[in-house]
Amino acid sequence: MKRYDLIIVGAGPSGLSAAIEAAKRGIEVIVFDENEKPGGQLFKQIHKFFGSKEHRAKVRGFVIGEQLLEEADKLGVKVELNSTVIGLYQDKEVVVKKDDKVTHYKADAIIIATGAAENMVTFPGWTLPGVIGAGAAQTMMNLHGVKPGKKILMLGSGNVGLVVSFQLMQCGCDVVALVDAAPRVGGYGVHAAKVARTGVPFYLSHTIVKAEGEECVTGVTIAEVDSSFKFIEGTEKHFDVDTICLAVGLSPMSQLLKMAGCKMEDNPKRGGQVPICDEHGSTSIPGIFVAGDVSGIEEASSAMIEGRMAGITAAEFLGYIQKDEMGTELENLDKALDGLRQGMFAPSNRGKLIEKTDEGIEVSESLLKKGYVSDDEIERFPGVTHKKGIHPVIECTQNIPCNPCQDACVKKCISIGSNITSLPIVVEDGDCINCGMCVASCSGQAIFLVDEDCGDGTATVTLPYEFLPLPSEGDKGIALGRDGKKVCEATVVSVKSAKAFDKTHLLTMRVPKEYAMKARFYKEAE
Amino acid sequence: MNAVNDRTRDIGPFVEGPDDDMLICRCEEITKGEIRRAVHDGMWTMTEIRRYLRTGMGLCQGQTCAKLVKGIVARELGISPAELEPATSRVPMRPIEMHIFANEAKEGEEYED
Amino acid sequence: MKTNAQVVIIGGGIIGCSTAYYLAKSGVKDVIVLEGSDHIGNGGSSRNGGGVRQSGRDVRELPLVMYGIKNLWPTLSEELEVDCEYHQDGNLRLGKNDEHAKILTKLADNARAVGLDVRMIDGDEVRQINPYLSHEVTVASWCPTDGHANPLTTTLGFYKMARRLGVTFISGEPVKELRVIKGKIRQVITPNNVYEGESVLVAAGLDSREILSTVGIDVPMVKSLLEALVTEAQPHMFDQMLGTAEADFYGHQTKHGSFVFGGSSGMERFNKDNGTPVTNSKTAPCICRGIMKYFPDLANAKIVRTWAGWMDASYDGVPALGKVDEIDGLYVACAFHGHGFGIAPAAGHQLAKLITTGTTDISLDELRYDRFKAKI
Repeated sequence: MKRYDLIIVGAGPSGLSAAIEAAKRGIEVIVFDENEKPGGQLFKQIHKFFGSKEHRAKVRGFVIGEQLLEEADKLGVKVELNSTVIGLYQDKEVVVKKDDKVTHYKADAIIIATGAAENMVTFPGWTLPGVIGAGAAQTMMNLHGVKPGKKILMLGSGNVGLVVSFQLMQCGCDVVALVDAAPRVGGYGVHAAKVARTGVPFYLSHTIVKAEGEECVTGVTIAEVDSSFKFIEGTEKHFDVDTICLAVGLSPMSQLLKMAGCKMEDNPKRGGQVPICDEHGSTSIPGIFVAGDVSGIEEASSAMIEGRMAGITAAEFLGYIQKDEMGTELENLDKALDGLRQGMFAPSNRGKLIEKTDEGIEVSESLLKKGYVSDDEIERFPGVTHKKGIHPVIECTQNIPCNPCQDACVKKCISIGSNITSLPIVVEDGDCINCGMCVASCSGQAIFLVDEDCGDGTATVTLPYEFLPLPSEGDKGIALGRDGKKVCEATVVSVKSAKAFDKTHLLTMRVPKEYAMKARFYKEAE
Repeated sequence: MNAVNDRTRDIGPFVEGPDDDMLICRCEEITKGEIRRAVHDGMWTMTEIRRYLRTGMGLCQGQTCAKLVKGIVARELGISPAELEPATSRVPMRPIEMHIFANEAKEGEEYED
Repeated sequence: MKTNAQVVIIGGGIIGCSTAYYLAKSGVKDVIVLEGSDHIGNGGSSRNGGGVRQSGRDVRELPLVMYGIKNLWPTLSEELEVDCEYHQDGNLRLGKNDEHAKILTKLADNARAVGLDVRMIDGDEVRQINPYLSHEVTVASWCPTDGHANPLTTTLGFYKMARRLGVTFISGEPVKELRVIKGKIRQVITPNNVYEGESVLVAAGLDSREILSTVGIDVPMVKSLLEALVTEAQPHMFDQMLGTAEADFYGHQTKHGSFVFGGSSGMERFNKDNGTPVTNSKTAPCICRGIMKYFPDLANAKIVRTWAGWMDASYDGVPALGKVDEIDGLYVACAFHGHGFGIAPAAGHQLAKLITTGTTDISLDELRYDRFKAKI
């Protein structure tokens, strides 16, 4: 039987990262993935990632996928696609289906990096065609170029629901509502704000009563729920939609581990059935390791670090490195992972209601309930300051692990400091040169360049813009507020595109100066 | 012993629910009402429910409904879903055609560059 | 929690559950069933291929299974209020050569001697009964009164009805020891509890050997890992139960449309035991190759699941069933040798009668626990 040092199951962010670390240390490694393309969920992620430089922040997910693949390829990692691991048997035997045959392999070590699958919720009509997972919608549009629907309702306000809602609009769909049974938005405020400002209404404390339609979805009714998630009569709202997207969480695809006899637990904090493992991915069976969502639902950035940890741990298990080398490497990775697990959205804060930022500023209630920071709340955040001339306005109001803006400004106008989760502040004597790098670097699309008084009664607002077709200089349209409602007429001054902006276009619009701090999105006149 | 071992524990009578007709396991077309009734028939573990009703035994092998079924069973038993055992995983991970499963690569036919 | 009963049954498989049901039905509801695992019917009861057949059996157990097929199986679904999916559409035992024909003829002759209708047919007749069989099949024995059922719903159906009638079931209670008190069986000891019964039935499959050994009784059994698989639902093709002369492959199409097939790789007795019945990587492909030889049409059917179970292989191929004369109040039902499902209702029915009245309708003498003799 063909025997490898290391077999990795899953060529997503964690599997590829593990393969890279293992191959760097001279290990013969093969990665199996059932899909026709590698990268797992990365190639569906067209948005820029959060984090710091070491987490590849401000790089779009699919680009990270390409980088990982290139690195793996250079190191001689074999990535076998269209290869489904159908079983993990005793004695670390892996059976793989490819084409019209099955092949038995053995390995001295195995890393399972199979990721997760989408959860479903039930309501009358949930089995109608047109009710799909948000991840499925993402696959349709970003991998296959298929528009999932025309009018869509999104259930779930976690990062997946928010990010996919935005992508659905980028793809030309009309997102009629973003709904969540929870009383507060679950994902990053900046993700919510960029959706809200385009005009998508948020319905928190609401959920789906029923999907309507005979053969397929033709509409949906939602209603408000009370604190025990019971419907409140008389609060029903109907929408004509052809698609309902569910973004209600993920479950680890841990079946292979269970099959192999690894000790498992049902851990709601990790998203369901997961192997019992240590912080570096060792399971109860020596030589079987895990990385990424399969050992607990997080996101791609942490999955990549976990993958590297598992790769290094497997290298030590296989005798390719010494324990002390492993210790040093793991210590650094622990720090990197800790960095990502900081802030309001840290795993340790799940389910907690956070009322103040680390800086002691009251969190925006409106952001949590409606998806945007209200005009009267925005002024209390340190990124929002006023001065003559063009200056950055940073509407970043929650402690999240992300800091590319601080490095983006060559003039050092923006500061976050050593604590990656601190709110960015605008440096008082900074000399903004209107380069736009901060706007393009912000993965949350929360930075604007504002000239509050151009001297002629107008103001200019430069905003990140990622919709096609691009408006042109001189176009007249309307400016929308943070709440997505019209605030005033607006004229496009310029639309700048540059390689350094990485497909985030900088749209500058002119508005009456009284709206300088209100106008945050540009929409063509209808 | 765990929460479901003593099958004499009183879990109350079966009460019909308004959404008993709702499909839960799509592959095998099992409704919420059938699952709830099965609990009252004494099927108190996920394994027994699967064997009695076929939930999670179809093409997706429970990928879609496992959590939903678990939630329904746990609620009917008045326990937390985490107290129910994880569903068993069996080969193959994905359905596989008989002629492919039968066709084992010979020694030396494995993937090589 | 109840720890004292008129009858304590060790083993929540189909034998334990059916005995409990028939006891309760006859009025003896003061019964405790102890299941070692967390799940009722977790051993061979839920892992077998669902055959309800008489043909191919040893004559010593034939009368009992014939009794069940005549008197119990036809009304079982109705009685248990569950769809046992019982089909009485015959059993084809297939052969491909002269050697197979010899084996089949001998089995058929034995069966006819005790009054069972089994006849030998040729390949063409086989394909008249089941047109999907390949032309490699040249001979078969045909028993029209055999059939198949769903072992999962049947086992759990017995459990459900016994429980409804008032039997106490406790899972997660592996029995470690039996104790004789004042010359009579009395105590059943688990790691957590001591149960007491006037009568005790040991129906714990393979584990029966270790449990019985605590009171000095030995039933010679060894374990063997049997495997089976199931396909996705297919359009209806046939209703017969199938087997082969070499007993290397068997199966049927279920009501649901899926095909359940069992088979062997030849390594059954030597598979490694890691504490749970897990499948061997080589077996399912081998079963698939076997199926396709008989049913080329199924080549594209998808396998959705494979599983394994330990068979309690008996020294001479038939169970140990009945009263343990040496110990007052002790009964045994084990070593069913991989074909305990079809016979289970009859076994449970007769055990219940034996426990309550001391007599049976069908003699169990040939199945005594102490029948095993040296060869010379």
